[in-house]
Amino acid sequence: MAAQSDPQGSEFSAAELEFLAEDEMIEIVPNMRMESLNLISGDFGPFHPQISTQVPLWLAMALKKRGKCTIRPPEWMLVEKLMQVLEAERDSQKSFQPLPFHYVEISRLLFDHARDDIPDIYMVRSLIEDIKDVRFYKIGTGLEVISQRTTALKLNHLTAMEVNIVRPFLVKALQTFNKLDNPEIHKS
Amino acid sequence: MSQYYDIDDILADDELVPAVFQVAANGVGLFDSSDEMNKVEQGSKVELPFWLARELHLRQAVSINLPPCFNQKTRDELVADAAHVDLKNRCPYFYELGCKLFSLVGDKTIALLLLAAFQTRYKEVLIKAQTAAMTVAPKFLTLLTKEETKLYEAAQSSMSAFKKWRMGGPRFQRASVLGRKRRPSD
Repeated sequence: MAAQSDPQGSEFSAAELEFLAEDEMIEIVPNMRMESLNLISGDFGPFHPQISTQVPLWLAMALKKRGKCTIRPPEWMLVEKLMQVLEAERDSQKSFQPLPFHYVEISRLLFDHARDDIPDIYMVRSLIEDIKDVRFYKIGTGLEVISQRTTALKLNHLTAMEVNIVRPFLVKALQTFNKLDNPEIHKS
Repeated sequence: MSQYYDIDDILADDELVPAVFQVAANGVGLFDSSDEMNKVEQGSKVELPFWLARELHLRQAVSINLPPCFNQKTRDELVADAAHVDLKNRCPYFYELGCKLFSLVGDKTIALLLLAAFQTRYKEVLIKAQTAAMTVAPKFLTLLTKEETKLYEAAQSSMSAFKKWRMGGPRFQRASVLGRKRRPSD
């Protein structure tokens, strides 16, 4: 964690989260032939042209940069699915929709490197932005209700980036409430 | 004592509190420099830094009163509109000082006051941190105590770091120390 040297920093940096997100599996369609790769994290391949395989995202990015594959976008990244998720997010006031844990990072990586592999990329991009904004707004309203009686906070289906952003603020707020609450016990 | 090394704790201890001497003290005429004699009479009021007042209180040499930032005027303002009270001006360590004073002064209402004030102001901090409007921020920041400022900055920094990352930019950046090659001076 790059912020360890700073005692107040208790979160990952965004780039570190992106690095962690690259371990997620994604489907690619190679356009070359290669025998299987035996890596520490697993065995991938063998790669045959036009036959899709599951590889980690970092490997997919590397192959894509060398022009050796095309990436198939994951199922949650289709326009209809995202529209459903957006509708559901807007309808429910308190709960979040289940989304892949690293959807922000994965979508950004794919937009940067695999632009031509995603159909309707502008639509997808704006939908993901909207989903992100709605979720952040919901987090804000959820955080407003904590008071001195709150011992723990539960937010379902929160994704990695959102958790990372909220973490320092939330921890400090809960600490302060706890500190102000202690004299109450001695009061009576 | 987990806060022994905490800078903010040390600074909070430095705040002045009014105290009344219960005994006469010699050699500390600095506090009450109205006359030439180097002593303080019993019953005289002085303003002491909190760390000194606490130690003397434990030795039963002074009794501590509430500092002016906890007086009725502030309380009324907090009740009226907690979010816009300029706590930084009165006492930048409002909450810390209140917690420390709680056990020493015979006033039990401090805790409730602090709690109510913080609850309201916390909401404001939350909202302002999220919207992150550059125009509104500076005026509001001057009202916050040290604690609240830290809270606000925590939220701000993670949000702005995320936004910066989202903008894109090169994934690998050359370290600036490797920048220009300097000709070795001979």
